Amino acid sequence: MTRFRGSVWLFGALGAAAIVIAACGGTPAPSTSTSKGTVTVAGFNFPESSVLAQLYGQELAHNGYTINYKVNLGTRKVVAPALQSGQIDLYPGYAASELEYFNNGAGEATPDAAATTAKLNTYLAKINAIALTPSAAFDGNAYAVTKATATKYNLKTLSDLTPIASQLVFGAGPECPTYKFCLPGLKSVYGLTFKQTLTLDTDGPATRAAFKNGSIQVGLVFSSDSDLNSLGLVVLQDDKHMIAADNVVPVVRQAVATAEVKTVLDKVDAGLTTADLVTMNGQVELLHQDPDAVAKAYLQQHNYFP
Amino acid sequence: MPKGLFLDVVDPWINWDWLSTHIPYVLAAVQEHVTLTIVAVALGLAISLPLGILAHRWGRLRLLILTVFGVFYTIPSIALFALLIPYTGLSGTTAEIPLIGYNVLVLVRNVLVGLDSVSPDVLDAADGMGYRPFARMIRIELPLALPAIFAGLRVATVSTIGIVTITAVIGLGGLGQLILRGLIESFHSPLVVATVLCILLAFFADLLIAGAQRFAVPWARPS
Amino acid sequence: MNLFQATWQWLTDPAHWQGIDGIPTRLVEQIHLSIESVAIGAVIALPIGIVLGHYGRFGNLAINISNVGRAVPSFAILVIAFQVFGLGDVPIILALTALAVPPMVTNSYVALREVDPDVKDAARGMGYRELAQLLRVELPLAVPLIMAGVRTSAVQVVATATLAALIAGGGLGRYIVDGLARSDNPRTLAGALLVAALALATELLLAGLQRALVPRGIRLLKTPAANRASTFKTA
Repeated sequence: MTRFRGSVWLFGALGAAAIVIAACGGTPAPSTSTSKGTVTVAGFNFPESSVLAQLYGQELAHNGYTINYKVNLGTRKVVAPALQSGQIDLYPGYAASELEYFNNGAGEATPDAAATTAKLNTYLAKINAIALTPSAAFDGNAYAVTKATATKYNLKTLSDLTPIASQLVFGAGPECPTYKFCLPGLKSVYGLTFKQTLTLDTDGPATRAAFKNGSIQVGLVFSSDSDLNSLGLVVLQDDKHMIAADNVVPVVRQAVATAEVKTVLDKVDAGLTTADLVTMNGQVELLHQDPDAVAKAYLQQHNYFP
Repeated sequence: MPKGLFLDVVDPWINWDWLSTHIPYVLAAVQEHVTLTIVAVALGLAISLPLGILAHRWGRLRLLILTVFGVFYTIPSIALFALLIPYTGLSGTTAEIPLIGYNVLVLVRNVLVGLDSVSPDVLDAADGMGYRPFARMIRIELPLALPAIFAGLRVATVSTIGIVTITAVIGLGGLGQLILRGLIESFHSPLVVATVLCILLAFFADLLIAGAQRFAVPWARPS
Repeated sequence: MNLFQATWQWLTDPAHWQGIDGIPTRLVEQIHLSIESVAIGAVIALPIGIVLGHYGRFGNLAINISNVGRAVPSFAILVIAFQVFGLGDVPIILALTALAVPPMVTNSYVALREVDPDVKDAARGMGYRELAQLLRVELPLAVPLIMAGVRTSAVQVVATATLAALIAGGGLGRYIVDGLARSDNPRTLAGALLVAALALATELLLAGLQRALVPRGIRLLKTPAANRASTFKTA
């Protein structure tokens, strides 16, 4: 009798597992009967993107939408295709970088945010997506050196690097060799060829650690980072204007970009400034507050942009 | 406790404030983690049982299955997740295919060990009693193979719980999301909470399966 | 061009065999990380397991170390090591060593326990003293299972070392992580194949070493259990 029970156990266990999966695995129904639909908001794998995703998501939630977050999803090369295939509905982009991604690095981005976004939309239209009104808030790639290096070689601008680049080690993220406003741009606009390029992370803890222990002298950071000063880093000026209008702009799938969604998101972007980005980054990077808490405080402070 | 490297603010290894305000977030991660694990192990078992039985019968099939899944087993999970993205997107399916594949190797091996260990005398007696092959398999051989299968289930489950954390790189991850977040934000708490919960989850699952084995196979104590 | 053709092209491109991101460099990095971790792990784990197994003490401890060790997610251990020790090889090797120790402790413990008590008795009767008995009688008999533990650890470490790239480490994992970041699938697949090949090579090498170390008389007994290292995937 026990032997018979044994086999039944195996199949019973499988059946029980199936029931558990069915019970837990399904996405929960929207909690309010008045939910206007579900929006999946994604973010790149750095803290500022998580903050922006939370800003958009929480503002939409405040207006009755159910939000699914997919933060720290990856680089643009992972996030953009996900939007294209409909797995995510919205992500906080940066106008010039989005344009140069979707036009395969054709070099059409300019310092004019509106023009850049308009051009971006000609490409996004082909994949049923749209970029809304760009914000005044700006965050582009920036290249920093330690204060010691700056003093040693008398560095103020990126052009100052050209004669000595071959003596310096550069650190950035894995997408840098193929990202227009990174290595290719540094090479074509400034003629920089470094002694060595280390693959670390995109403006993350590894890059900071590498500065600290001296393994890199030049590194990629973001212009809205708040902890550069406290880390003893100096940003070199982009005197030849390699970086274009990397203003914050939401990239949304057409199917989700209803008039109301657009209005809601535009309100957030209209109120957002670069100083706000720096402040919020500081709260996350220096004070170790949560992106979602930081975003909530900001929105409450602005009364959710009525 | 050593402080983190770049922190001017003291970041304790577990910030209880953070934890107490993020219980729903942590629980959601645990739920996702458990779901991914259960699906991987259950489907792995569902595939391994028939495959194992067939492989036990036909030596050539055994070699083929063990080789194919054996090679699959040596491929790092993170690579498989990345490679499947163009085909199955950033979804649970992308996570599950490699997880299930790994579990099939472990479980098929154990099914085979279990079935191999059935004494020929027992089989002979069963034949003598009039059991036909299918009934003999279901009622005699499989139950006797259960200890080995349960051992395989324990290994597969604990291993899966660990690898599920890596699915964070495709936007899933369950508790792996907390680990990734701890890394990117240089923040200790989610990282430590996730590690401890993963270990507890693994222990609990192992205990559960060992307990089930005690129930289903009382004549063979789990090791 | 399909993925396999593109990957083949990637692997046969001479540019990918030079420089700091070249295949030889990354391969050496991966091997270096793995060997150091397994070696240090063995130095820690084997004496513990052997001594515990010889005296038959704390058996539960040995088994529990293995259970806890298996339950620790390798991704998390690497990130914790990075947050405590920063960049470089040291944190990675520490994390990988922590992963390598448990299987070796358990296997060497079980290996020593499984030595036939009659053999130990005979040895004592022949006049062997404690240390000599351990070294000249028990250890040779225990070698198959001990080596199986080392093999398990080694293959596990080689595969898990790929995760080091997630914390800015080097090695073959760099190809996989970079490929994911750039959606460059040929690079990812090339990295995956190289890791798989390395893992297989490690398994074969250590299996050969095991055969060389096992005394001829034992080999003739053909213990199938120890011939196949039990695998446990952590990455």
